[in-house]
Amino acid sequence: MEALTQRRGGWLVAALVVALLLAALLAPGCGRDEAAARSVLLAVNAGVEAEGLKQAARDYERQFGVRVEIVEYPYPSLFEKLLIAFSGTTTTYDLVMLDDPWFPRFAQMNGLRDLAPLYQTKKLDGPDADFLPPSLALCRHPYATGRLLALPYVGNSQLFFYRKDLFEKHGLDPPHTWDDVLTAGLRIGAAEKMHGYVMRGAQGNPIVADFMPLLWAFGGELLDADGRPRVDSPEAVAALELMLRLGKIAPPGYVNFNADEVGAHLAQGTAVMGINWPAWIPTFEDPVRSKVAGRIGYAVMPSQKNAGASAIGNWLLAIPRGSDKASLAFDFLLWVTSPEAMRLSAVRGNPPTRSSLFEDAELRQRFPAYPVQQQALLGSRPRPRSPVWNEIENTFGTYLSQANAGVYPPREALARAQRDIVAILERWNAAQSR
Amino acid sequence: MTRTRLSLRYAALGAFALFFLFPLYWLGVTALKPPAQLFAQPPTWWPDPPTLAHFRDLLAGAALGRLAWNSAVVALGSTLLALVVGTLGAYSLSRFSLPLRLNHHVSFWILSTRAFPPIISIVPLFLILRQFGLVDTRLGLVLAYAAFNLPFVVWMMKGFFDDLPRELEESALVDGDTPFGAFRRIALPLVRPGLAATALFCLILSWNEFLFALVLTQTEAALTLPVGIANQVTQYEIRWGAMSAAGVVAMVPLFFVALLVQRHLVRGLTYGAVKG
Amino acid sequence: MERRPVPLAPTAFGHRGHALFPYFFLAPCLLLLLALTVYPLFYLARLSLYRMTPEGEAFAGLANFARLVTDGFFWRALGQTLVFTFSALTLEFLLGLALALLLHSQIRGRSLWRALFLLPMILPPVVAGVIWRLIYNPNLGVLNAALQGLGFDTSRLTWLADPSVALAAVVVVDVWEWTPFVFLILLAGLQAIPEEPYEAARIDGSGPWQTFRHITLPLLAPAILVALLLRTFDLLRLFDQVFILTQGGPGFATETISLYIYKTAFRFYDFGYAAALSFVLLGATLALSHFYIRLLQRPERTA
Repeated sequence: MEALTQRRGGWLVAALVVALLLAALLAPGCGRDEAAARSVLLAVNAGVEAEGLKQAARDYERQFGVRVEIVEYPYPSLFEKLLIAFSGTTTTYDLVMLDDPWFPRFAQMNGLRDLAPLYQTKKLDGPDADFLPPSLALCRHPYATGRLLALPYVGNSQLFFYRKDLFEKHGLDPPHTWDDVLTAGLRIGAAEKMHGYVMRGAQGNPIVADFMPLLWAFGGELLDADGRPRVDSPEAVAALELMLRLGKIAPPGYVNFNADEVGAHLAQGTAVMGINWPAWIPTFEDPVRSKVAGRIGYAVMPSQKNAGASAIGNWLLAIPRGSDKASLAFDFLLWVTSPEAMRLSAVRGNPPTRSSLFEDAELRQRFPAYPVQQQALLGSRPRPRSPVWNEIENTFGTYLSQANAGVYPPREALARAQRDIVAILERWNAAQSR
Repeated sequence: MTRTRLSLRYAALGAFALFFLFPLYWLGVTALKPPAQLFAQPPTWWPDPPTLAHFRDLLAGAALGRLAWNSAVVALGSTLLALVVGTLGAYSLSRFSLPLRLNHHVSFWILSTRAFPPIISIVPLFLILRQFGLVDTRLGLVLAYAAFNLPFVVWMMKGFFDDLPRELEESALVDGDTPFGAFRRIALPLVRPGLAATALFCLILSWNEFLFALVLTQTEAALTLPVGIANQVTQYEIRWGAMSAAGVVAMVPLFFVALLVQRHLVRGLTYGAVKG
Repeated sequence: MERRPVPLAPTAFGHRGHALFPYFFLAPCLLLLLALTVYPLFYLARLSLYRMTPEGEAFAGLANFARLVTDGFFWRALGQTLVFTFSALTLEFLLGLALALLLHSQIRGRSLWRALFLLPMILPPVVAGVIWRLIYNPNLGVLNAALQGLGFDTSRLTWLADPSVALAAVVVVDVWEWTPFVFLILLAGLQAIPEEPYEAARIDGSGPWQTFRHITLPLLAPAILVALLLRTFDLLRLFDQVFILTQGGPGFATETISLYIYKTAFRFYDFGYAAALSFVLLGATLALSHFYIRLLQRPERTA
């Protein structure tokens, strides 16, 4: 070490290093400037959606010569980055992918560009009628009636997966109500030495997404018609109690599960039933990755007091207001949500948001669950369209997870959740009125 | 020493070695495993055959090279900034008696920053940097890192200067040299080993840093290696192969740096409280 | 550690400007320090008095602090951080001391071992999180595989997914990563102890345990204190590993105070409340750092 520092030429080397460093620091990212004029930066969720979009970007560049640069983040990070992006005046991204529950917040922040003027520049009236109504409704602020601020790209809504071969074997009909789910789970699980049910218990978005269909089926609501929380209603308590009973026949550690673990248990044949996203269907049907190819059945959500409804969970694409490449971004947006491009995305495993594609014969053959998916989408419900949904979901999700972990009994967990959610909304309203 | 006692010691050493070194071995092995074996149950203890596919994939996605470059530039930049500014400041604190008891106050302040949780600075730093448009830039990260590198450099270099007897500089001053001349020609060359050690410490600290990078970067323009590694934990799956390969890349340069700086390791770690 | 600085030689300062040299030396450093460490604190103070939303800000007085008092999540996170700190500290101290004593005695290849045991401490904490997440995975991980090989039933052992075990699992990761830190410092401390007391003890016929208790431990005390204090600071600020390992779950079981503040600021965009929380954390660490500074400004010992 000492020998190194004694050399005479040290100063020259040091000066060179400094010069290089300054150049590297002050120069903008690797030659982005020249290409920047014909390029668009898109922020996406890491995972199957990102993979699909990366392919689409390559196709687009080949066809039109415009580079679509994709930067991907894990789900929670994506939300954080978008929140930051929309709260400043300039923005890093030209196009963003957002989960539909985040939409009300970003719309409220005035972060998303109104698409109507952009459609007008193309001499179009607006999105065509091929888009599924529930998906398009998500993209309007206020919900279903207001200005169009995004376009739906991935038509996810939860599906109920069950081992149809085992149900047949035990002479059971596919589960119609949640009580059926419980009894079937207990019976088949014991007989086949499997876990009767598997679910997402990880705090936050995962567990809330799995709980909403239960809550709705039992007749509960998270927010009532006036937007007030009703999380501690008797219906909600009943729903949570059923969830805990399902938890007893779920794999240990489900309290930390996300879609990854749920999918793995279903694919490995260690669980009988579960809720998951349609993106998993290709995996389940692939003999290489799944031990149960051809033996999984798809159904809409079980009912109870009310008809079963899945939570819709579409990925939307929007243009930030602060982007200065809006028309370039809009070109890509129109292209990627067109029937042809969306078809390619569907083939890659992302459910479409267009009726024509759900009814397409070839796609139906490749994805036999499409009819059920379409049915689920059409009958789906969105999660409450509150601008503080992210906070509510996080808080609610923590208490749900704690109830499943046995930290609080169901009634108390929901009472605490109610109290906290009321506080969240009060703070938000107080800030708005200033 | 009795035979049993000696063998007990070696047994203990073996147990420690197993605990501390096995996970590192596991990281390396995972990075070299073919994708099929990553999910094998029970896990295979040795990749068969070992493959560089994960490293290639990372490089191919342009991600790894870019991230490592960002990490390196930011680490070097902030180290240099802290070193230049901090060494001058340290010399001043060591040699001159400043008014308003500045020597004492500044030293106190610098020591206390060692205790601060970074989360305290990150909220205001983020908002301040955003106003200057420095979020998602390497320059912004370099400035943010100076927040912990600078106090470290000042404290360490002050210690090294304090250890230097003043007679040489004093005689130079008497001979008519300027204070800066005495600093440059006499003091600086004599603390070169300390300077190098301090620089290497700053490099390690900056290279490993996560929280600031997580908040202050958004795209590949500034994303560093630790954040890139964390981003492999996606919503649907964890890309073990990619994550392990990136982990190995993040780790290997540091090992060599640490070897270089071994002599001053304890002094650097304890802010000079224990001279190792 | 403060010695009398160089008296400014009169002859050298006949010229104008030389008297200002100390300030030229110090000014950039001081300015940068003020900008990066002092100014943010004032900014933080102001932030904590406002309620920040993406739309703008609204003056909230002490509302954020009032909210803090009744925030169950905050106190839970703080409590967990303290439990974590205490457990990890104890384990790191005991293991670090054992390792230091071991490598201080006659063992072959000491310097090689010393270099090898450095490694967990050198690598980025994020990577440590990655490694252990891999090890702890209930289905794919090497821990459960090894236990199964030994005949245990691992179906209920989910480690990071088990709320009653998760915090302990994270403690193990920290112990793995930072025991080398304690070990190094204690080893240096051991190496600085002179031979005389030991010789005297040998002559007196003192046994190993007595020697340890009455000679080694007291002379090692300064180094131990430094190691423990520094580790306490770092444990209180724990973020990187938890972010990778559990993100605070399952069910808030491993949420640390830094993680809670981070989420409040960057997921809920509630900077005002995050600032208030930061101040509480700052207060606690400043109180502790007071001890640290006193320690360092003592007259130097044998160390």
